[in-house]
Amino acid sequence: MNVREYIASGIVESYVLGLASNEEMAEFERMCAAHQEVQLAREAFEKQLEMHSIKNGIQPPVHLQSKIFAELEVESDKLKTNGSFTVDQSAQSQSPVVTMQWWKYAAVASIVLLLGSIGLNIYYANRFNTYKGLYLASRTELANSNKALQIQQATFENSLDILRDTNMAVVKMKGMTASPESMATVYWDKRTKDVYLLVNNLPEPAAGKQYQLWALVNGQPVDAGMLNWDHANVVAPMKNIQQAQGFAITLENAGGTPVPQGTMYVLGNM
Amino acid sequence: METNATYTESDLVELLKQRDNRAFNYLYEHYSAALYGIILPIVNDTEIANDVLQEVFLNIWRKIESYDPVKGRLFTWMLNIARNASIDTLRSKSFQNLRKNQPLGDNVNWSTNTQYQDADNIGLRKILDRLKDEQRTLVELAYFKGYTHEEIAAIEGIPLGTVKTRIRTALIQLRNYLQ
Repeated sequence: MNVREYIASGIVESYVLGLASNEEMAEFERMCAAHQEVQLAREAFEKQLEMHSIKNGIQPPVHLQSKIFAELEVESDKLKTNGSFTVDQSAQSQSPVVTMQWWKYAAVASIVLLLGSIGLNIYYANRFNTYKGLYLASRTELANSNKALQIQQATFENSLDILRDTNMAVVKMKGMTASPESMATVYWDKRTKDVYLLVNNLPEPAAGKQYQLWALVNGQPVDAGMLNWDHANVVAPMKNIQQAQGFAITLENAGGTPVPQGTMYVLGNM
Repeated sequence: METNATYTESDLVELLKQRDNRAFNYLYEHYSAALYGIILPIVNDTEIANDVLQEVFLNIWRKIESYDPVKGRLFTWMLNIARNASIDTLRSKSFQNLRKNQPLGDNVNWSTNTQYQDADNIGLRKILDRLKDEQRTLVELAYFKGYTHEEIAAIEGIPLGTVKTRIRTALIQLRNYLQ
């Protein structure tokens, strides 16, 4: 791919909007360094996006500004406190040591106290690290299960959206003699001509076998996609079919076939 | 205090690194609305958007040293902080709601409902409507919900390569609508 094609591939927009993967980002940064055109294309989109965002901005509530700046003030104080703390330390180390008899005892005592304090510090730091590890582990676990749940929820919501959509033509496919109990439903989007498949009841295919959906177009079967059995519990997107008088499902070798060869399980007319 | 001064981007960044108060005022006055317009369509709730905007400015304040002008403009950096903070908040909130799982009953106080009514009409969402359905869904999942391409492929049941191509084509189209 040459530089011009690379720029036109959508990577610029993807990178700037934070949608590129880590590898894509690393590659893009290398390309920016190597080719000025890439960097200029990035800057052009950035400026365009910035102008659009400013023009279409929404004023936050007025009271928010003072609240935010009060928070920044607190942060600023924290920084100052930390800063002055380091200054004090260095000042202390430079102060002259006064040699006096009683001071030696005091020094020994303070060293003993210091050692004790260091020991306690190490002990508590270890305990802190242990709990931090436990906390981080459980947080990651929680985040992962949260993500999994969200993906699952989004999948089901998506299925529900399709079932609810009033633009769907519904084709009930009934079981054939080979499998009278079988049933499946096709949802055909009248606007986009996209086809979705809901399995009501089909036996689990044997290893190496896969169900194939066919659209019946003017009496001829047209491949409408393979059913991924992992998606058999949701409404699965199939191929786009411009027009059809009916749909059928056959059991074929995994990967499918250009013309149906296996047993027909279900059939239904529009 | 009104700040009428204008800065070049590198001067502004330099002053922000010194935690200069006027520079932050300038930043707020110039960019708070733009950033709020990024946050609101993602979180869809003015109360939450207020919290996120506060967090975003705190993060800008704390992390300004890590801003690298070689990788992009200051606004791009802030936009991504805003988008990430919005999505993180959304995820932790929806997780809390999922756990509570409270049905809407008579005790729901509708007057405290802060859901933003016109979220479809702001920022990138406004132009999202002009995309094809299949593209809109993918951009919605990627940009507004923060899913990775792999997750989207799993959710939509389409190949990873298709997800990537459709999103990229959609982004190029969105860009044309920006003009």
